[in-house]
Amino acid sequence: MRRLPVYILIQTSGAMHGEPIESIKVGLESMVASLRQDPFALESVHISLITFNRVTEQILPLTELESMQLPEITLPESGGTHLGEALKFICQRYDLDIQQTTTERKGDWMPLLFIMTNGKPSDNQLYMQMIPEIKKRHFGSIIACAAGAKADTAKLKELTNNVVSLDTTDSATFRQFFKWVSASVSMGNRSIGSAAEMQLPPPPPEIHTVI
Amino acid sequence: MAKTVKTTATDGTPVEFIDEMIGSGGMKDVYFSPDKSYVVAFFRDKQDFNAKDRLQNITGVYRDRIFNQQGGDYWQDLYCWPTKIVEYNGKLGIVCPTYQKHFFFSKGSINNDFLGIKGKEKEGKWFASAKNQNKFLAPEEKGDWFKYFQICIRISRAVKRLHAAGLAHSDLSYKNVLIDPVSGRAAIIDIDGLVVPGKYPPDVLGTPDFIAPEVIETKHLKITDPGRKVPSIATDRHALAVMIYMYLLYRHPLRGGKVNDLDCTRDEELSMGSKSLYIEHPSDITNRVKINQLNPSQLPQGDPTKTPYTVCGPYLKTLFDKAFIDGLHNPSLRPTANEWEDALLKTVDLMQPCQNQACWHKWFIFDNTKQPKCPFCGTAYTGQLPVLNLYSSRKAGTFTPDNYRLMVYNNQYLYQWHVNRNISPNERLTEEQKKPVGYFAFHNNKWLLINQRLNDLEDKSEGVKIPVNKAVELTEGKQILLSKEEGGRLIIVQLVQG
Repeated sequence: MRRLPVYILIQTSGAMHGEPIESIKVGLESMVASLRQDPFALESVHISLITFNRVTEQILPLTELESMQLPEITLPESGGTHLGEALKFICQRYDLDIQQTTTERKGDWMPLLFIMTNGKPSDNQLYMQMIPEIKKRHFGSIIACAAGAKADTAKLKELTNNVVSLDTTDSATFRQFFKWVSASVSMGNRSIGSAAEMQLPPPPPEIHTVI
Repeated sequence: MAKTVKTTATDGTPVEFIDEMIGSGGMKDVYFSPDKSYVVAFFRDKQDFNAKDRLQNITGVYRDRIFNQQGGDYWQDLYCWPTKIVEYNGKLGIVCPTYQKHFFFSKGSINNDFLGIKGKEKEGKWFASAKNQNKFLAPEEKGDWFKYFQICIRISRAVKRLHAAGLAHSDLSYKNVLIDPVSGRAAIIDIDGLVVPGKYPPDVLGTPDFIAPEVIETKHLKITDPGRKVPSIATDRHALAVMIYMYLLYRHPLRGGKVNDLDCTRDEELSMGSKSLYIEHPSDITNRVKINQLNPSQLPQGDPTKTPYTVCGPYLKTLFDKAFIDGLHNPSLRPTANEWEDALLKTVDLMQPCQNQACWHKWFIFDNTKQPKCPFCGTAYTGQLPVLNLYSSRKAGTFTPDNYRLMVYNNQYLYQWHVNRNISPNERLTEEQKKPVGYFAFHNNKWLLINQRLNDLEDKSEGVKIPVNKAVELTEGKQILLSKEEGGRLIIVQLVQG
C-alpha cells in the first residue's frame, strides 16, 4: 500500500508568538481530527511536523494518522527565519523517509509539503541554494503559506507556484487554512474531472492565492 | 440561530432550508430543510445550459421513469434521487431526500470511537478496506459476510435499473454508495452526474480505483477525439465489478505487485489503465500480490492465496473472470448488472453459517467438497450437510438441472423462487411471493423440510404427498417435488458428511 507522506513545516520564531502559534495548534488539531474521519486518508496518509527558527527540529517523525499524537510546539524567545536550513533538513528527510519505487516494489506517493512562514528567510543564500535541491526531489505539491500582515510572498514564489497569504493570523483563518490543507490531502481519492486534472481544491475565500 | 430561507423550486413547489452549511462535497454545498427531511445542495460553480437541462431531466422524466411506475416505491430505498431544482441568489441547487438513518454510524470506531466518526455517513470505503475493517471499525458496525452479499445484490439491482432506463451513473464508487452492513442495505447517492449516452457528456472521469481502463488510457485525448472513451454503461459495469470484489474480499482486484513505471503517477495510470491486470489471473502471474510488501493491517484479507476469489463460489468466479480477465480490456464482455444480481442471489443459496462462533465472516460458501470448511477461520463443518440440487421441467415428465443449488441450514426458509423457475427474487415480487413457503430444521438428529404453504409438495421417492404443517425428511438421494405448476421444481437431496 502506497503511503502519502505529508510534511508540515512551521516557523516558530518572531511574529509567531502568542495568538498565531496558538491558532496553528488549534488548526493542526482540527486537521488531524478531520483527516481521521476520512477512510481514504486513514489508509495512506503519514504526517511529519517540523519546526524551524534558527534551528530546525523534527517534532514528529513521519507517522500514520491513527497513531499520531500532536507534540507540544515550543517557541524560542527570539531567533531567525532559517528557512534555507529547514529546506535542507526536508531534503534529508525526503531521502531517508521516502520509499522510492523500484522495479520490484511500489513506492510512496509523491509527498506533499506545506510551509508556514513569514516568507522572509534570514539565510537567504542557503535558501536560494536549496530551491533547486527541493525541485530535484519529486513533491506532489508544495504549498507555502505566508502568514501575517507583513508576510512576504515574493521569495516563496521562487520555490512554488502555490503560495497563499494569510493576512490575519487568528484562529478562524488558520482553521480555514488547515481545513483546506486536509481537503488537499484528501483530494487524492476524489472524483477526477474530465477536463484538466485538479490537484488542489479551491482555497477558502479568506485566503488569497498568489498567482 | 441561522435564518430559514423560503424559496420556490422550478416546479413551483415551496422549498425551505436553514442558511447554515452542514457539509460540502466536491462540487456542492449542502443545507438542511427545517424538518431535516430533505437537503438542498447548491452547486458552487455556475452551471451551463447542459447541466441545467440534465438536472431537469433527472428530477423530471428520468425520475418518473423509475419511481412513478408499478413497484416504483421499491427504489426509494436504493437511491437518493434528486427531486427538485431550485435557483437562489444566482446559484443552482437540487433538493434530495435526507439519507436514511441507518446510513449514519451509530457506534463508529473502536475505543469509544477514537476517530470521532459516530453520526457520520457510512461511506462505502470504510468497509471495503481491510485496514479500516481490521483496525478502526467498532464490531457493531461491521456486519457479517451475508450482509455484504445483500449489499452487493442491492447495488447491482439499483445499477441494473439505471441501465435499463438507458442511464449510466458515470461515477460509481464506494464514495457514491452508502452501505449499512448492520442491516445489509445500500443506497446510490450523487445521482446528479447521471449520463445519458449520446445526450450529455459526463463531467467526471470517475473515482480512482473504479475508473475503467479504457477511460484512463484515453484521458489524454481531446474530448472530441473519437478515440476518447468516457464514462458509460460499460464503464459502470467495470466499477460495479470492482465494488463487488472489494466488498466481498476487502482488496482491489487490480492492485498487485507489478511495477509498470518507476514514476508513481505514471505507474498508477498504467496499472489501472492500459497495463491493468487481474491480481488473480490464472496464467499471467506477473501482478500477483507481494505479501511481504503489504502493511500488516491489510492481512489476512489482502492475501489472495489465503482467501482466493473462488471463496465467493462458482457463479461469482465466472463473473469475476469475465470482468477482470475477458472484459477488462474488452468492455463489451463485462458482466451486466443483471448478471451480477442473478449470480449473487444464487450464491446466497450456497451459504452456510460458520460453526465457529468467533468467526468474523460468520458465513461461508459451500465449496462443493466432501469436507466443507470455512475458508476464513478454517473451521471444518461437522455433522450432516444437506445440499439440494434443483431441477425443473421444461417438458412434461422430464426434469433437467437448473445449475442451481440450495444449501440447507437450521431454521432456513424456502421461498417461491426456489419452488418455481419462473420466479426470481427481485423488486417485482408481490407481497405474497415474499412470504416463505416452508423451512428447514435439524430436529431429533434428522434434517426436515416443513411444509407451510405448498399445495403440491410430494415425496417422490416414497410417492407420498406432504400436506401443510407436515414434514419430509431429507435423506441421501431423496426426490421431492415442490410444485406441479409450470416452471415448478424438483429437489434431489445430497447429504455431505462433514
